[in-house]
Amino acid sequence: MRFSRTLKALGFTVATALAPLMAANAQAAGTITVAVAIDPGSWDPIDTFLVDWSSAANNMFDGLTARGADMKLKPGLATSWEMLDNNSRIRFKLRENVKFHNGEPFNAAAVKFTFDRLLGEEGKKGPQQSNYNTIDKVEVVDDNTVDFVMKQPDPVLLTKLAGYGAMIVPPKYIQEKGEDYFNTHPVGTGPFKFVEYSPKVSLTLEAFPEHWGGAPKLDKVVTRFISEANTQVAELQAGRIDVATLIPFGLAPTVEKSQNLDLISITGPTVVSLRLNTKNGITKDENVRKALIMGIDRDAIIKAVLLGHGKPIASFQSELSFGNDPALKPLPFDLAKAKQMLQQAKVPAGAPVKIDFRGNDATFREVAQAAAGFLQALGLKPSLQPYEPPVLLNDIIPNGKTGEAWHQAWGGWTFDYDNTAYLMYHSGEKWNPYDNDPKLNEMLEKQRTIYNVQEREKLLQEIARYVADRALEIPLYNQNTIYGVNKRVKNFDAPSDRRFRFQETSVE
Amino acid sequence: MAGFILKRLLQAIFVVLAVTLIVSFAIRLSGDPAVMLMGGGGNVTEQDLQNIRQALGLERPFYVQYLSFLQGILVGDFGRSFMGGTPVSTLIAHALPSTLLLAFTSLLVSIALSVPLGVYAAVNRGRWPDQLIRILSLVGLSFPNFWLAIMMVLLFSIVLGILPPSGMEGPESFVMPALTMAIILTATNVRLVRTSMLETLSQQYIMVARSKGLADRVVLYKHALRNSAIPLVTYIGLQFGSLIGGIVIVERVFNWPGMGTLAFDAISGRDYPVLQGTITVLALFIVLINLLVDIAYGLIDPRIRTE
Amino acid sequence: MAGTQAVPSPSRRRFRSLEFALGVILTGGMCLAVLFSSVLFPDGGESMDLMARLIPPFQNPAHILGTDPLGRDVLARVIVGGKISLTVGILSVLGAVVVGTLVGLIAGYYRGIAEVLLMRFADIQLALPFILIAIMFLAILGTGVDKVIFFMIVAQWVQYARLVRGSVLALRDREFILSARAIGVGNRRIIFTHILPNVLGPIVILMTLNVANNILLESSLTFLGLGVDPLIPSWGGMLADGRTYLQSAWWVSVFPGLAIMFTVLGLNLLGDWLRDLLDPTGQTSK
Repeated sequence: MRFSRTLKALGFTVATALAPLMAANAQAAGTITVAVAIDPGSWDPIDTFLVDWSSAANNMFDGLTARGADMKLKPGLATSWEMLDNNSRIRFKLRENVKFHNGEPFNAAAVKFTFDRLLGEEGKKGPQQSNYNTIDKVEVVDDNTVDFVMKQPDPVLLTKLAGYGAMIVPPKYIQEKGEDYFNTHPVGTGPFKFVEYSPKVSLTLEAFPEHWGGAPKLDKVVTRFISEANTQVAELQAGRIDVATLIPFGLAPTVEKSQNLDLISITGPTVVSLRLNTKNGITKDENVRKALIMGIDRDAIIKAVLLGHGKPIASFQSELSFGNDPALKPLPFDLAKAKQMLQQAKVPAGAPVKIDFRGNDATFREVAQAAAGFLQALGLKPSLQPYEPPVLLNDIIPNGKTGEAWHQAWGGWTFDYDNTAYLMYHSGEKWNPYDNDPKLNEMLEKQRTIYNVQEREKLLQEIARYVADRALEIPLYNQNTIYGVNKRVKNFDAPSDRRFRFQETSVE
Repeated sequence: MAGFILKRLLQAIFVVLAVTLIVSFAIRLSGDPAVMLMGGGGNVTEQDLQNIRQALGLERPFYVQYLSFLQGILVGDFGRSFMGGTPVSTLIAHALPSTLLLAFTSLLVSIALSVPLGVYAAVNRGRWPDQLIRILSLVGLSFPNFWLAIMMVLLFSIVLGILPPSGMEGPESFVMPALTMAIILTATNVRLVRTSMLETLSQQYIMVARSKGLADRVVLYKHALRNSAIPLVTYIGLQFGSLIGGIVIVERVFNWPGMGTLAFDAISGRDYPVLQGTITVLALFIVLINLLVDIAYGLIDPRIRTE
Repeated sequence: MAGTQAVPSPSRRRFRSLEFALGVILTGGMCLAVLFSSVLFPDGGESMDLMARLIPPFQNPAHILGTDPLGRDVLARVIVGGKISLTVGILSVLGAVVVGTLVGLIAGYYRGIAEVLLMRFADIQLALPFILIAIMFLAILGTGVDKVIFFMIVAQWVQYARLVRGSVLALRDREFILSARAIGVGNRRIIFTHILPNVLGPIVILMTLNVANNILLESSLTFLGLGVDPLIPSWGGMLADGRTYLQSAWWVSVFPGLAIMFTVLGLNLLGDWLRDLLDPTGQTSK
C-alpha cells in the first residue's frame, strides 16, 4: 500500500504548521502579564471579596487611603484625615484636580456617591457592604472635604478604606451607563485604565498618564485567569506571563531553577491551623488538645513541606498582623510528653482523629498528610477527609459536622487580628461551631470599641494568649506569599497581600 | 418518515427538560451561593445573607425558580451569573465556540489519524503492521488524559519550547489539546475503521472489483472506504457526548476558555444560572447530534424507524 | 453471524495469543502484586520520613523507586495504591453489570413500560456530560471510595441495560426461544437459561473495557480534587499530587502513571482479545 506517502505528507503538514511558532513569544515591550487563578466576573468594587479581583483592580481604582507593598498606610485620594466628635466623625481632606479615566472630576460628591451606593440597596446585593457597615453615612462638607459619620467605632476603618468595597467609583458614569455596564467596563482614578475584558480569559488595562501619582512606566497590564498551578508555572517558564501568583510550594524549586525566573517569597497574610473540636471526640479534653499540639512538629513541616517558605505561629495571625505578640510561643514539639499526656487523659491507642480539609489545596494536602504522620506516631488513628471548599465552608464547619480537627486557612488583608479572631472565637459566629466562652466573648467585644492603639493591641494579645491557653487549635504556620517573576520585570514591589500596583514597575 | 422525526423530536425535548430538571435540582442540594459570594470574610450577618439571597431570587420555592428558568430559556435568556452579574448567554456565547472548535478539531485529527491507520491495518490484517497499530492505539487509551496533557506541555512547551502551554490564541494553541483528545478517540476509531473495512472487503462486489484488476488503492478508497463511512459517522455522532465530557479535563489543564471551564467554575462557585445554562446547552447539542444521526440512519435504513 | 468462519492464518493466531499473553501478564501481574501487597509492604506504604523526602529512584536499596515529598516509599505506594484503583474499577463494574443486565433482560424480554422507561433514561444519561455530573454529585454527596463506586454504577448501568436489551431483542424471536416457549418453559427460565448465556459475550467485553475506563476515571476525579483520603495511597491520588513535582522529581508521578498504564493496557488488550473471540462479527473474514 502507498499509505507511507500519506503519512509522510501528514508529517510534513504538521511540520510546516509548527515552523512559524518556533519564534513565537508573547512578551511585548511595555506590557506586563500577570496570571491569577479566578476571574471575579465583575470589576465593580462592591461585587466581590476575591483577592484576585484586587490583584488586577488595585491598578484601576484608588481608595481614600492607600497601602503600599510595605503594608504601611498612606494617603490615597484623601491627603489627610482627622478624628472629630470623640471619634464618631472622621474628616477627610480630598486630593484636588484628580480625574476619573472618563474625564469625570473626583470630588466629595463622588466619595458620597461611592459610599451611599456601597451602604445602600446596590451594596446589599454584594459581599462588601458588611465590611463597612460601621459607617452610618458620608456627609459632604465642601467640594474637597467629606465627613464619615460612624455608627460605632471601627479601628480598622482606615485600613479598610484602602481597598475592595471602598474604592472610589465615578457617579455620572454609573448613573448614565448603568450598573451592569459598569461591571464589565469599569472606570476608576487609578494609574491604569480599562481596555478590554474577556470573561474567563483576560483583562487588559493601559496606562493612564494623567494619574495624580505620575504616569506609570508600563504601557499595559494584562491579567490572565489560569486556575491550574502547573499551567501558570508552565506559562511562566515559556515566558508568556511575567508574574505567576499560584505556586504551590512543591513547584517553588522548579521556578527557582529556571534561569529566566526569580522566586519571590515574602511574609504574607495567610495563616494555617488545625482547629479542634471542643465538643466531641477525644479533643473535648483540653489536655488532649495540648498533647496534639505538642505532638506535631510544625518546624519539620515548614522545612519539609513548605520548603522553608513559612514561619511557625503561636496564634492565628502573621507577624505583620496587628495584635501579634512575638513573645507568645507555641507549645514546643515533644513527642514523649505528648504521649504521656494522652495516657494520663486515658486516650486509647488507635483513637480516631479525623481531619477535614479543602481538597483543592495542593500544599495543605501534603501538610495534612505530614500532620497525620505525627498523629500516627502518637499512637492515634488519623484519617483525612478532603472536601470541595463550598461544602466545607458552608456546611461542614458552620453546622458543626467536622471531625476532631479541621483545616482553617485565612488571610485577612487588613492584617488585624480582630478580622479573624472575632469570627473564629466569639460564640455563635460561623467559624466557631462548638465553643462558647463568655470571657473570650467579652474580650472580643471590648477590643472593637477601643481606638487607643496600644490598649487595643494589648487586649488583642491577651486574646491570643487566652486562645493558646485553652488550646482551641493547633497553630501551624504563616505561609509566605510566593510569586514566580520573569527576570525582565524591574522595580517590582512585591506586595504580601497580592494587591499589585504597577505604578513604578517596568519590563525590559 | 415525518412521523418518525416528530416522535424523535418530542423525545429530544423530553430529554433536555429532564436534564435541566436534574441539574437544577441537584445543584441546590448543597452549598449556599450567598455564603459563597460572601466568601466567609467580613462581619457577615444572617440579614446580609438574606439580602443576597433575595437579590439572587433564591428565597423563592424551587419550582418557581425552575419554571422561571424554563421561561427564560424559551426567549434565550439564561439569567445572570451570580458572580458578577454577566448574562449567562454572553458567557456561553464566548465559551461555546471555543469548546465546539476544540471538539471538531479533535474529531478531525482523530479521523485523519484513524482512517489511514485503520485501513492500513485492515489490509495488512494479522501481519505486524496490524498488530502494531492495534496495540499502539490501545496504549493511547491507557493514559489518564490529564497526565498525557501535562506530559505534552512538559515536552512541547518547556523542553522544546515550540507550543504555548495554555490558552486559546492562534492555531498553534489547538495542537496539544486537540491531540490529547484525538489520541483517546483514535484508539476506538482505528478499530472501527479496521472492522468495517474488513467487513466491506469481504463482500462480493469488492472481490469482483479486485478480480477485475482494479488497482488496490482505487478499490480501497472508492468502494470499500465509502461503505465503511456510515458506521464510522454514526459512531462519531454518538461519541460527541463523551467527547464533551473528556473536554472538561483537557480544558482545565490547557486553561481553555470553554464550556467545561465555565461549568466547572460554576459548580465550585455554586453559580446556579451558569451551571444550568451550560449543561442545558451542552445537552441540547448532544441530543441534537444524536437526533441527526438517528434521522440520517432512519433515512438510510428504514427498519430502524419501526423500532 | 456470517457463516464464513475462516481458519485464522498462523500469524493471526500468533497475534491473538500475543494480545492475550500481554494482557494476562500485565493485568495478572498487577493484580497479584496488589493482592500480596499487605505481605510485601506491611506498613501499607504509609510510613513517613520527612528527612528522607524525594530520594531519586535506584539509589537507595530501601527505596528502589525513590520516595515521595513526605519521604514515603514510592514502590510500596504504587503496589498498595493499586488496591483502591482495582477495587473501584471492579466493584463499580460488577454493580453496574448486575443492575444493568437485570433491567436489560426485563426490558428486552417483556418490553412494554419497562423498555420505554429504560430507553428514555438512557437518552437522558447520554445527554449529560458525564464528568461534569460526576463533579457535581461528588461535590454534593461528599467524597469517598463508596461514593465514587456508587456514582459510577449509577452512571454506567444503562450501558449494560441497553446492550442486553439489544441482544435480547435479537434473540427473543429466534426459533430456539420460540420452541422453548411453545413447550411451556417459564419466562424466567427462558431468560436465565436460554437468553442470558447468549448475551454474556458482549457483556464480558464491555466489563473488561469499563474496568479499564473506571480506573482512569477514578484518577481523573482525584485530579480534580474529588478523590479519597490522601493517606490511603491510590494511583490517581499519586498522579494528581505528583504533578507538582513533575519537573523536580519525575518519579513521584511517573511510576504510578506507568502502573495505571500497564494495568489499563492489559485490560484493554484482554478486552480486545475477548472481542475477537466472542464477538462473531469480528470473525467474519475476507
